Amino acid sequence: MTAPADIVRLLAPELIVALTGALVIVIDLLRPQVQNAPRTRPGVAYVGIAGLGVAGGFVVSLAGERGDLFEGLVLLDPFSTFFKLLFIAIAMIVLLVAVDPLPRFTRWPAEFHALIIWCTLGHMLLAAAGELFTIFLALQLTSLPLIALIGYAKRDARSGEASLKYLLLVLVSTAVLLYGMTLIYGSLGTSTISEIGERLAGQSTIQPVLALGLVLLLTGFAFKITAVPFHYWVPDVYQGAPTPVTAFLSVASKFAGFALALRIIVTGLRVPLDWSLIFGVMAVLSMTLGNLAAIRQTEMKRMLAYSGIAQAGYLLVGLAALSERGVASLLFYVVAYGLSNLAAFTSVIVIEQATGSTRIEDYAGVSSRAPLIALCLTISLLSLAGLPLMAGFMAKFDVFLAAAETGLAWVIAIGVVNSVISLYYYLRVVWQLYVSPSCRDEARIPVQVRPGVALAVCTVGVIVIGVLPEPVMRLTEHAASALFGG
Amino acid sequence: MTTMPVLSIIVLTPALAGVLIALAGRGPHVPRAIAAAAGTICLCACAWVYATYDRAAAGLQFIESVEWIPSLGISYALGVDGISVPMLLLMGIVMFTGVLASWDITERPREFFALLMLLVTGVFGVFAATDAFLLFFFYEMAVVPMYLLIAVWGSTRKDYSAMKLTLFLFAGSAALLIALVLIYWQAGAGTFDLVTWAQTAFPPEFQRWAFLLTFVGFGALVPIFPLHTWSPDGHVAAPTAVSMMHAGVLLKLGAYGIIRLGVAVFPDGLSNWASLIAVIGAINVVYGAFCAMNQADLKYVIGYSSVSHMGYVLLGIAMMNRFGFEGAVFQMFAHGIMTALFFTLIGYVYESTHTRQIADISGLMRRTPLVAAAFIIASAASMGLPSTSGFVAELLVYLGILTRSPLLAAIVFTGVVVTAAYLLRMLGSILLGEASPAVADLEDPRPVRLAPMLILAATIMVVGIAPATMYETIRSATGPLLILVTGG
Repeated sequence: MTAPADIVRLLAPELIVALTGALVIVIDLLRPQVQNAPRTRPGVAYVGIAGLGVAGGFVVSLAGERGDLFEGLVLLDPFSTFFKLLFIAIAMIVLLVAVDPLPRFTRWPAEFHALIIWCTLGHMLLAAAGELFTIFLALQLTSLPLIALIGYAKRDARSGEASLKYLLLVLVSTAVLLYGMTLIYGSLGTSTISEIGERLAGQSTIQPVLALGLVLLLTGFAFKITAVPFHYWVPDVYQGAPTPVTAFLSVASKFAGFALALRIIVTGLRVPLDWSLIFGVMAVLSMTLGNLAAIRQTEMKRMLAYSGIAQAGYLLVGLAALSERGVASLLFYVVAYGLSNLAAFTSVIVIEQATGSTRIEDYAGVSSRAPLIALCLTISLLSLAGLPLMAGFMAKFDVFLAAAETGLAWVIAIGVVNSVISLYYYLRVVWQLYVSPSCRDEARIPVQVRPGVALAVCTVGVIVIGVLPEPVMRLTEHAASALFGG
Repeated sequence: MTTMPVLSIIVLTPALAGVLIALAGRGPHVPRAIAAAAGTICLCACAWVYATYDRAAAGLQFIESVEWIPSLGISYALGVDGISVPMLLLMGIVMFTGVLASWDITERPREFFALLMLLVTGVFGVFAATDAFLLFFFYEMAVVPMYLLIAVWGSTRKDYSAMKLTLFLFAGSAALLIALVLIYWQAGAGTFDLVTWAQTAFPPEFQRWAFLLTFVGFGALVPIFPLHTWSPDGHVAAPTAVSMMHAGVLLKLGAYGIIRLGVAVFPDGLSNWASLIAVIGAINVVYGAFCAMNQADLKYVIGYSSVSHMGYVLLGIAMMNRFGFEGAVFQMFAHGIMTALFFTLIGYVYESTHTRQIADISGLMRRTPLVAAAFIIASAASMGLPSTSGFVAELLVYLGILTRSPLLAAIVFTGVVVTAAYLLRMLGSILLGEASPAVADLEDPRPVRLAPMLILAATIMVVGIAPATMYETIRSATGPLLILVTGG
């Protein structure tokens, strides 16, 4: 048993995040309301960011400690610490970026911030969960705010449609997941992941019921990590959701899925199944379908949605390697992809704010209207394509190196061919930015301070990690070895 | 020995210059001044390396090594041998002259010179790297700016050509990436150090496939037949300085990579595929020459002549004998200088006449005798006439082929005849006769534009008349390489 004081101490980050969400709403209620005036409310966002920052500080101060709470329901190890910090950082950036565009689609910014913060709480718990039903609860905590967030632009029909689609998806995947969990619990008599691992380790064959349970469980996650063939919801939802929400969805939600999948697969599923093959095939399908579909897109958010599906494929390569190095490379890829994608979406938000459009053809001439935005967007896209000097290059190389160790040459071969395909559609955007002659509007695009800061942080991060990846690699190796019991 | 990190200076000066240029103002003066300063520093440093390189001692010199990504066993390791030294000198000359040839760029000069410097860093890096990952990193870094340089500042079908070039080169580097990660684990030493790799005895079967991957990967850049189609399009579309670097140096990156990663690490792989490489090389030489014969655009003529001339490099490598190897490297240097000269000249003529059609240009000799003289020197080198660097290179390659297969030599020799034919036809058409209306405004170049032509033409003649220094340099590296390949 852990003493109550200890529980509070070890759960401090989560408690602070939960309270911050509430605080944001309360503060907003205490302020005088002005009717019908679209306004930015940076104050509440700053409170949220500060709260998240404090929580992040506590996560760092607890980084040396390991252990579990409530008989293994919640785990504290370097792996969960890594993801908690990641989720907090993402939420801080999204909050900062969302302040300026919010008045365009809502009069209630405070609730928006609170929902992002609570959703982050769900992500943090997911990364720390050590037991199936805790996972289920944490998943609900992420899904419910997301449904509201996606439909936050009430006057935009596409936002509502996206929200409804996401709701249906959540219902289906939750049902599937829950059914899988009950089957596993029914056959093994435990819901703790480490105990599942121990009981499965002795078995040389696998019962059909249990196999079905495992497959259903993984299907539930596959929706979240947007891997093919569970990706159909992605383009519509990404396009319909308000762009800051899309940015949040495209990184935080996907990474939460990966955190969960890693924990369960590495510590739980020690069964005689060829996981390498299963994830290898999923990786290859995601990359190929995502990239081929992205080529045809004319809308930036849709293109980034398909590119995100393809990127999930590269992340899955690290999972398919099923080794400590593979997991470490996946975590490194997560950081690189997160920074690049956030930078890309922030650029999209800034341009959308000025032009009201997210169509790729409307990006013509941005290089002269907003040179720095064009530069940052180019850097982030080239990073996503995996070109050197940018984080994406190191990440791809690292993932492929890990896959080569396990002998997944076929996955690597298809993966590198896919990078070439992806370069084509990323470069088409760059072409619009710098070369396209069809620039209709010559007015300069204003860049607000808040998204500007977020963009600078992400872009500089992309380059720094691309040139000096060692410190981040150390961190990811540390986190990965914790997962493997090191 | 000195402790000055001269190779780092060569590699990083352009990168630093690029950053400074990016921070500079919008006008053309500051960027080009910074670029010229960087060019001067690099050229001097390269010349210094060339002058002080110890030809008697084989092996890597000017070594620098710093741990970069120890988690993966990657180091920032630089060093040069007798193959890289001439390449560095080549790049130094082409960079310096390329900056001067771009002196009159007025469209977005800041971005142009910044990207150009990034490209230069990548190229220098490839020639100086002794770590396979670092080499690959620089290699891709050199290719990235090409897209924008061509798409923004290019001419003739630039969008199509830029995308085609980029996709071809990245398809090549995709093959390289596969090769790298597989070799890393096969070598089992936890390092990307090329010297360690070269000392590792890889199983013959692995050598065969790994060599093929590197050959195709780097070959896309050489360019090997049938992966060459991007190359003439790219040359034609690119702005002058980029054409110079592209044809002059970038193609050599491919050949250099084949030697450094393919031949040195997988000698058995080379002997396995030597006949295939010889056939591809012969096709490059003869087919490229015939294609050049059929072109109406000056840049296309030189573009296809590059395909043809790079064939000699492949042939030299495939012969696996002393003269072949020496000729291959010598040809890389000689061809780099001569094409850089060609593209400087064509660029200069095009800026004033706005045409590159052979039919529209005549009488250059009357309008501007200096440019005409430089055209003749470049063509003489291209035809392999004695007293030019091209002569030494082709002579060595032909000696190599003759000792191996006189029949092949006879077939390839048709390339020489056709080369002479298209070049003489071109020269006759553009230099002689009355000045056509298009060249009416053409004048002798200003000193800043004349300088690159003089430097390049002088290099052709000096290396052609006194090839001994260059030859000794190359020999100090190809000798040990040959022992590796033939097994003593």
